[in-house]
Amino acid sequence: MRLFSLALAITLVASGAAAFDFKPYGRGAFSQLTKTHAGKPLIVHFWSVTCPACLAELPQWAKIAGEKKRIDIIFVNTDSDEDRARAQARIEKVGLSSADHYGFADDFVEKLYFEADSTWRGELPFTALVAPDGAVVTVTGAVDDPLIVEWLEKRAGK
Amino acid sequence: MKRIAFALLTVCAPAGLAAEESPAPAPSGSEKSGAPPVSHAAMGHHPPPACAEAKVDCAATAVPAFAKDGRLWVAFSVGKTVYAVASSDNGKTFSAPTAIAAVADGVIDAHGDARPKIMALNDGSLLATYTTRPDKQMIGTIFTARSTDGGKTFSTPQPLLTEGGQRFDTIVTNRKGRIYAGWLDKTHALKAKAEGKEFLGSGVAFAYSDDGGKTFKGKSILIDHACECCRMSGALDKDGTPVFAWRQVLDGNIRDHMVAKLSADATQATAARVSDDDWSINSCPHHGPSIAIDASGAWHVVWFTKGKKRQGLFYARSVDEGKSFSEPEKFGDDARAPGHPTLLAAKGRLYRVWKEFDGTTTTIAMQMSHDNGKDWSAPRVIAQTSDASDHPELIAHKGAAYLSWLTHKEGYRLLPLPRDEKSAAASR
Repeated sequence: MRLFSLALAITLVASGAAAFDFKPYGRGAFSQLTKTHAGKPLIVHFWSVTCPACLAELPQWAKIAGEKKRIDIIFVNTDSDEDRARAQARIEKVGLSSADHYGFADDFVEKLYFEADSTWRGELPFTALVAPDGAVVTVTGAVDDPLIVEWLEKRAGK
Repeated sequence: MKRIAFALLTVCAPAGLAAEESPAPAPSGSEKSGAPPVSHAAMGHHPPPACAEAKVDCAATAVPAFAKDGRLWVAFSVGKTVYAVASSDNGKTFSAPTAIAAVADGVIDAHGDARPKIMALNDGSLLATYTTRPDKQMIGTIFTARSTDGGKTFSTPQPLLTEGGQRFDTIVTNRKGRIYAGWLDKTHALKAKAEGKEFLGSGVAFAYSDDGGKTFKGKSILIDHACECCRMSGALDKDGTPVFAWRQVLDGNIRDHMVAKLSADATQATAARVSDDDWSINSCPHHGPSIAIDASGAWHVVWFTKGKKRQGLFYARSVDEGKSFSEPEKFGDDARAPGHPTLLAAKGRLYRVWKEFDGTTTTIAMQMSHDNGKDWSAPRVIAQTSDASDHPELIAHKGAAYLSWLTHKEGYRLLPLPRDEKSAAASR
């Protein structure tokens, strides 16, 4: 795994491709992210390559990320390191390479789930909608969920 | 180790440095330094990397099996190798590991509901199963490997199927030695995709083996549209045929549970719905059910749902082979995110255990029933941890029941479960 990652890093540098990385998402990450982005509407979207529903709607998220410039959008991949190359390929395929990406970097997943929503048990896709004042609404399921649509309309400021 | 590799990638790539220069230090925010992340590039506190040795304590999942001779076998994977270890003292110490398979390409499915497994067969042989996925695709292949020398060596792993895509195998063996396999199969979904048609979920497929798992016959998809990311569960009915439980994708994207009894020749399975929870959701719960069948032939099922009609963990039983189920009975503490329930029937007793988490500590809660699931004892916490942990597993041997649980901090544990309330109280 280590050699593989090194090789990947070298490849990225050698090919001159835009540096792509999943920033580590660990314990405390959720509150740190909401603090860092306080004052602006924030969406934290959790997804996995083991979740067909997540992959099917990733292009829609790419579209939203391209259009809703007033909203900060963070993508958190919940896979383990073994699946990260696959996750990266998916992101590149839908044109989300320049977005803000994190990856689960802690096997204590109950803790990571709990910090975003104390009732979340890992079902995906999962989206946290964070208002500028820090109020959080969470949605299990697809991007076309009325809660997400309504929140986007309200926050996009069109 | 895995985490170090990941940190190296994130450290090296943006800096544009030749990676072979000098070994990069552990990421900031590791447990020893206690320092906060330098920038918000790395979010949160990170534990030390997991170990990478061929030990069950270094794995993410552990599946137990008791052999006739009383030895406890545990199957697990570390990195790209699947192992089996044996214990003669109920999990306190283990033999040197036997490598079952090393995977050159791809990933071993060993996370959450997906896990390498081992079964101890009546003739003394061992049957191991695991699933691999190629790096680029989410299409699994289930492999089987056998040991006829007491786990010293395993046969070259054989793919159950070489086309389509298979995951989440469940093996049930009857007293005559016939081995039934159930699994979730992507073949129909892939075909539909190639034809540009919509297809929700996976197929539910079955097969059987009469030669100790060397070959499987009658491999066929009998039911379509199972939820593709949740484990199946299987149990042996009193007539020697197996019953399987899984999460189905019903019309309207409703992801509720079904059971089906398989015919002895694995050619027929009639599915019945366990409960109308009405969980209509375009998502992957990653949270499969568990089924147990007691000596009287009653079927018992536990599951997780966030349906319109009920949310949380539930239990129901059927005394008419799935034709009808009792009203779902809720268990678990909703304030503590209960999840991953599992069931066991052992000598007139039923046990159910599940995980709960309060933001700091994960606990395993247990209830037992002495009247075939009509009444259950008060929930009792039987184990806990404050870091990462596997789903709980239950196993019976010679009439005794055990919790099998792998946790990051404490390692592998096999805990005997009380036979009654009195002994439960005495053990505290």
